[in-house]
Amino acid sequence: MESAVAPTNALTLAQVAASGILLGGVYALLAGGLNLIFGVMRVINLAHGELLMLGAYAALGLFVLWGVPPLLALALIMPLLFGLGLLLQRLLVSRVVRQPPLTSLLLMFGVSLLLTGAAQQAFTTNFRSVPYLSGSVDVAGLALSLPRLVAFGVAAVLSAAVYAYLRWSRWGKALRATAQNPDVALMCGIDVDRARLLAFGLGAALAGAAGTLASFIFTIFPEMGGTYMLKGFAVIVLGGLGSFGGAFAGAVLLGLFESFAAYATNAQAAEGVAYVLLFLVLLVKPSGLFGLREG
Amino acid sequence: MTGFSRRRIVASAAATGGVAALALTGCGGAQGGGATGGTTSDKTPVRIGASVSATGSNGNIGRYQKEAYELWVEMVNQRGGLLGRPVEMTILDDQTDPTTGAKLYEKLITEDKVDLVLGPYASSVTLSASTVTEKYKYPLLAAGASASDIWKRNYKYVFGVYSVAESYFYGVIDLALKNNLKKIAIVNEDTVFPNATATGTAAYARQKGMQIVFQEKYPQKATDVSSMLTKIKAAVPEVLVGGSYEPDSMLITRQMKDLDVNVKMLAFSVGAANPDFQGSLGAVADHVFGPSMWEPDLKTPGNKEFLDAYKKKWSRDPDYHSATGFAGGQIMEAAVKKANSLDREKLREALSTLETTTILPGKYKVDDTGMQMGHIPVTIQWQGKEKAIVSPDNMATGKPKLPMPEWKAR
Amino acid sequence: MRWGVTAPVLLALGVLMLATLPLWGTGYVLSLLFLTFMYAAMASSWNLISGYTGYVSFGHAAFFGIGAYTSGILLTNKLAHVSAPWPVAVLVAGVVAALLALVLGYPALRLRGPYFAIAMLGLAEAVRVAVTLAEPLTGGGKGLSLPPALVDVPAYYAMGLLAMVAVALTHVVATSPVGLRLLSIREDEVAAEVVGVRTTLHKLVTFCVSASIAGIAGGLYAWKQSYIDPTTVFAAGLTVRAITMTMFGGQGTVWGPVIGAVVLTYTGEQLWARFPFLHTALFGGMIILILLFLPGGVIALLQERGWLPRSRRV
Repeated sequence: MESAVAPTNALTLAQVAASGILLGGVYALLAGGLNLIFGVMRVINLAHGELLMLGAYAALGLFVLWGVPPLLALALIMPLLFGLGLLLQRLLVSRVVRQPPLTSLLLMFGVSLLLTGAAQQAFTTNFRSVPYLSGSVDVAGLALSLPRLVAFGVAAVLSAAVYAYLRWSRWGKALRATAQNPDVALMCGIDVDRARLLAFGLGAALAGAAGTLASFIFTIFPEMGGTYMLKGFAVIVLGGLGSFGGAFAGAVLLGLFESFAAYATNAQAAEGVAYVLLFLVLLVKPSGLFGLREG
Repeated sequence: MTGFSRRRIVASAAATGGVAALALTGCGGAQGGGATGGTTSDKTPVRIGASVSATGSNGNIGRYQKEAYELWVEMVNQRGGLLGRPVEMTILDDQTDPTTGAKLYEKLITEDKVDLVLGPYASSVTLSASTVTEKYKYPLLAAGASASDIWKRNYKYVFGVYSVAESYFYGVIDLALKNNLKKIAIVNEDTVFPNATATGTAAYARQKGMQIVFQEKYPQKATDVSSMLTKIKAAVPEVLVGGSYEPDSMLITRQMKDLDVNVKMLAFSVGAANPDFQGSLGAVADHVFGPSMWEPDLKTPGNKEFLDAYKKKWSRDPDYHSATGFAGGQIMEAAVKKANSLDREKLREALSTLETTTILPGKYKVDDTGMQMGHIPVTIQWQGKEKAIVSPDNMATGKPKLPMPEWKAR
Repeated sequence: MRWGVTAPVLLALGVLMLATLPLWGTGYVLSLLFLTFMYAAMASSWNLISGYTGYVSFGHAAFFGIGAYTSGILLTNKLAHVSAPWPVAVLVAGVVAALLALVLGYPALRLRGPYFAIAMLGLAEAVRVAVTLAEPLTGGGKGLSLPPALVDVPAYYAMGLLAMVAVALTHVVATSPVGLRLLSIREDEVAAEVVGVRTTLHKLVTFCVSASIAGIAGGLYAWKQSYIDPTTVFAAGLTVRAITMTMFGGQGTVWGPVIGAVVLTYTGEQLWARFPFLHTALFGGMIILILLFLPGGVIALLQERGWLPRSRRV
């Protein structure tokens, strides 16, 4: 029983494109954090999706218990996740940074399981959502989803802020130096350990922000981290490892791609195609479409 | 790397295996009593086992069924139990996972040695669990499932309690046609029950001359259906019918509002009839239709008593899944009375030929595959904060309100 | 620690108990041991590719799933209008899984370490989606129902046999030059190439063998359960367990995966009855602790204490 074909016209296609671009906003925040961590420490954070999940639950909790709207909750959740990132880095990741990448991969895999299981136990596996914004906004004949529009806006602002920080602040430059070559950075007097702490904390904070935004757009459940993880990778692979701006572009690309794939076939096939795309790009150009240099 | 070291390693492994086997059997073996029917008039309890989704993607609805089972046990014991023996029920949580469900029923049957079983929630879990109950020849009342696939496998021990999924939307389609709505879009989650719903609905709609302008499946645990809704918007249907479970019914409704997708008639297979639907969605839930296997206002035998007892025990209104669970217990009770025994073969016989009424509309009667034939589903619509039964006419409490107002006009 | 004469006695006792289990165990225990054997086979086969060659695969469940569906389809009469006898269905499942490994592995194994891991993660999902979409053949999201037969006993023996074969195979690899070459790939692939090891061939063959074992395990599972659906047989949890068990027991060893499978299946069952979700967290915590403090797993611990002789393990 495949889909009966729906009429296609320019407006519909524009609608699909718009949905796709907005979808990219949340992916961008997630991938940005992932990229940062990988760039500075060469660690693939397999627990990144779970950090997003925790951010989402935090937003849910704040909303349900004290009526805090998610956008306001960002101010609380980002520092919270930042702290968690610091903790993870200090206790666990720092021990395996200099080891072969597979060790850190498996370690973060373990962390992701731990966090998922803890969430399942604490929050039960029921599906939930934050009924925060709803409705659509009319823009040039297109119906844009209000919650997504807001999320995209916030994501863009946050991404721009982090980009500026990396580009122009002292610590931002320190991070980029450590990413390029930790040994040389150390010789130049940069506290490399601190830089790594900062990178992981910042990455986690961005994941938490992505989770907060996701909380009022998507459904929340403890296992949600896994899907976002793969999407995060797809974004980085598309946009380029180590390139923060590339990650944003990659996110929008993925959103567009998913949206059109779901339109052309159906939501299920679109999922699978995204993974195959990830695989093909990895084969052809492992450093990504805009990649600066390889890990 | 000599033979000697090899032997030692093999020995330690065998020892591990042996110890494990011993330990495992040690942890097994709760010896239950009364396996195939008490010939003596003893007072040993009748033990019934079941697994229901208390958590998981359908935990919200599963809990209603669990509460009903427990209520039924309480009430049947007040009446003296089954064949004079008190009833004890063990209810486990399968998290809406088919494999867990099968495992739990196997545990209940082979380890805990229960006398009887009652069905889980969701067709997918029932499909899986029934393979176990069929193997061990335990009659299973599918008090939480309705996909006809369950009865297409030539099984002899599975019995339906309410209408099959395929017929869920017949009432909605009939109403649509009465109001001159011809174009219909059908979507469903890609799992057992929603597929069955969609197939049946599509066939019926086509038969009655409706035009299916769009039909698509979405994956299980979907979190985003916006592309699908964009396609639906372009197809301009008048009626949208969703073969869905509670989480996706709510997801689709919310995203329809966010993307300004308007239809004249909106219906969901599960979730729409649940009191929480309006509770969670508020005004957005207004005008939504849904099939229901039972409603509190129906004048079926014992209904008021059930309603009062449920509210008293659980401090909340029952959902129709509570009613089907309760009916499952009632049917089991009637079968035991008819067979005058707990022997599972005799019970199977009794359940195949039994005709009885429960709190559900219609009556219990199955065909020779065990599929339910006598139950009559109703269609409800949310009108303000209340549900009205809009079909069939002889059970209606209100008139259907059509068309559904546009999202922006609310 | 001296074993002396106790070794053969324990050995005989253990084997006897397992061999006669159907006579004195309940259906539940039989199922539990069936699962233990299955995990032992899965962990061992994962160990072959990941523990020995160092190509960590996060997509092991894909081969289990494809095996389950192959055997399931052959056991119903969807394809050939007659259902195949179970040994045929199960063996063909293994062959199909190996073929899938060949098709996926040929491009994927070119990717280095972490990229291979992530690619396999994505590919496993893609396989699941493909199976779900092939609805006329596989039943899609509705799952596949097989004729229900109480085959618990033969399935138990068959899975036990598979586990033994997996372990024997690992032993052969470990104590032969082949194993040494695989380990060299893990340690430094470029150097291995230079020395003349045909790395591509070795990786590919190991991958296919590993996949076929998982495929047969899946085939047996489908036969016993009589109902499979994509979410269950492609579950990430299967890969997770294979990884955790192998790491717990000791990766790159022969008995590590088995020890891991036995201990973790048993504790998992106990925990699952009381705290259904704790076992995911427990596995995660275990992986972390092992990586940080005991990278060689239980076997390394026992070897350091002198309970077991040292063996070739890196």
